[in-house]
Amino acid sequence: MERVQVPALREVCVRVTVNGVPHACTVPARTLLVHLLRDRLRLTGTHVGCDTTQCGACTVDLDGAAVKSCTVLAVQADGHEVTTIEGIANPEEGTLHPVQQAFKDEHALQCGYCTPGMVMAIRQLIADHPDPTQDEVRHALSGNICRCTGYQNIVAATLHAARAATGARGPADKREG
Amino acid sequence: MFPADFAYARARSLDEALDLLDEAHAAEEEAKLIAGGQSLLPMMKLRLAAPQVLIDIADIADLKGGDWNATAIGALTTYRQLHLNGSLTSGIPALADALAVLADPQVRARGTIGGAVAHGDPAADLPPVLLALNAELAIASSAGKRTASLDDFLQGIYTTDLAEDEIVTHIRIRTPGASGSAYEKFPQPASHLPLAGACAVVRLRDGLIEGAEVAVTGISPRPYRARAAEQVLVGASPAPDVLAAAAEQITRLPDGQELSLLGDQHASAPYRAHLAEVLTRRALAKAISRARFAGMC
Repeated sequence: MERVQVPALREVCVRVTVNGVPHACTVPARTLLVHLLRDRLRLTGTHVGCDTTQCGACTVDLDGAAVKSCTVLAVQADGHEVTTIEGIANPEEGTLHPVQQAFKDEHALQCGYCTPGMVMAIRQLIADHPDPTQDEVRHALSGNICRCTGYQNIVAATLHAARAATGARGPADKREG
Repeated sequence: MFPADFAYARARSLDEALDLLDEAHAAEEEAKLIAGGQSLLPMMKLRLAAPQVLIDIADIADLKGGDWNATAIGALTTYRQLHLNGSLTSGIPALADALAVLADPQVRARGTIGGAVAHGDPAADLPPVLLALNAELAIASSAGKRTASLDDFLQGIYTTDLAEDEIVTHIRIRTPGASGSAYEKFPQPASHLPLAGACAVVRLRDGLIEGAEVAVTGISPRPYRARAAEQVLVGASPAPDVLAAAAEQITRLPDGQELSLLGDQHASAPYRAHLAEVLTRRALAKAISRARFAGMC
């Protein structure tokens, strides 16, 4: 039987915009997005925790949605836009992202390992639900695990960040408390 | 963890994807389609799957979005898109129930409805809802198109009726009229996969159950329609003892035989079956409550 060569590649060129900066990297097709970010682009703020799509430490923004970068191939991000924890503060004004600031104010981190993924997941949560209840926050963070079990202050920081954003837009949140 | 080495190709159109499948088949290379990859990539990282060729179909615009009523939902529609688009879950509360508890928000942003059916996972959340809604799949190959009911399509553990040269392109359901529906699950806390899950769709007429569909996931080699339980419900009063009697039949086949049950390190088969009975009772009660209010405002 004549063997047909399938036009598929073991090495791929990934052209991806990360935190507004375009990058082109040639990597094995099996490279995961989190390893492209950490090992090739040296953006080590994104962590690998469980490596099995459960803990959420590797959460990044891909085309406007929080995803787990240990379960996305780098080549799947070819032609797309990624935002990592390094890309959300405003260095020109010297300000943190509101979720980062709320984590600082509410002491929402202990060892810090889950923090980048938590912040990226909460950033998505507040974009989807600007005025979440505590119950909604806990459900929305079901894909992020804090091994220190510091959820109390993580939830408090989320509500704090959401209130800060709501306060900037309009009347105070009437559902709090 | 890395997947085993593979060659990657991105298809820009359905025809290109079908050509790539045919070429891989002719070259005797094992090819897998990848869309969101939320089930496939974890399996590849654990070497439970090691395809030689990975064909990325995520860019095929024709297979995205759609509408239950007009045509059908494209297989590449993500759980997140379904969940955020109220018009797609309107009148089908069981679908909204399942989308709210399926995996986690990050996984829902990547995982697709086509993947949910084509993967053949014995413990996925969406298949029981689609089974209870009598879903039909549109399937394409380079030889042409066909349709299959989801009930015929699902065959066993990660086993479906999909041939090597075929792609699930669309999913169609008939939005039920004045009916109530609900999905209830008991999740494994780390993976969020259901140890058991049950979907009920109930139509009421003159205070009696005119029709009911019940489907279960997580406890047997494939999500299934619990037709013995449905038979208890049809024509009966929607009373708690009737729902309990129906739920007792949840692992029974219409011919009276017992269903083949699955158990693993997370939960034994008898425990999963017990959960399915309890969850069926709850889903039925919720579906009936919703049916009473359906169409009122």
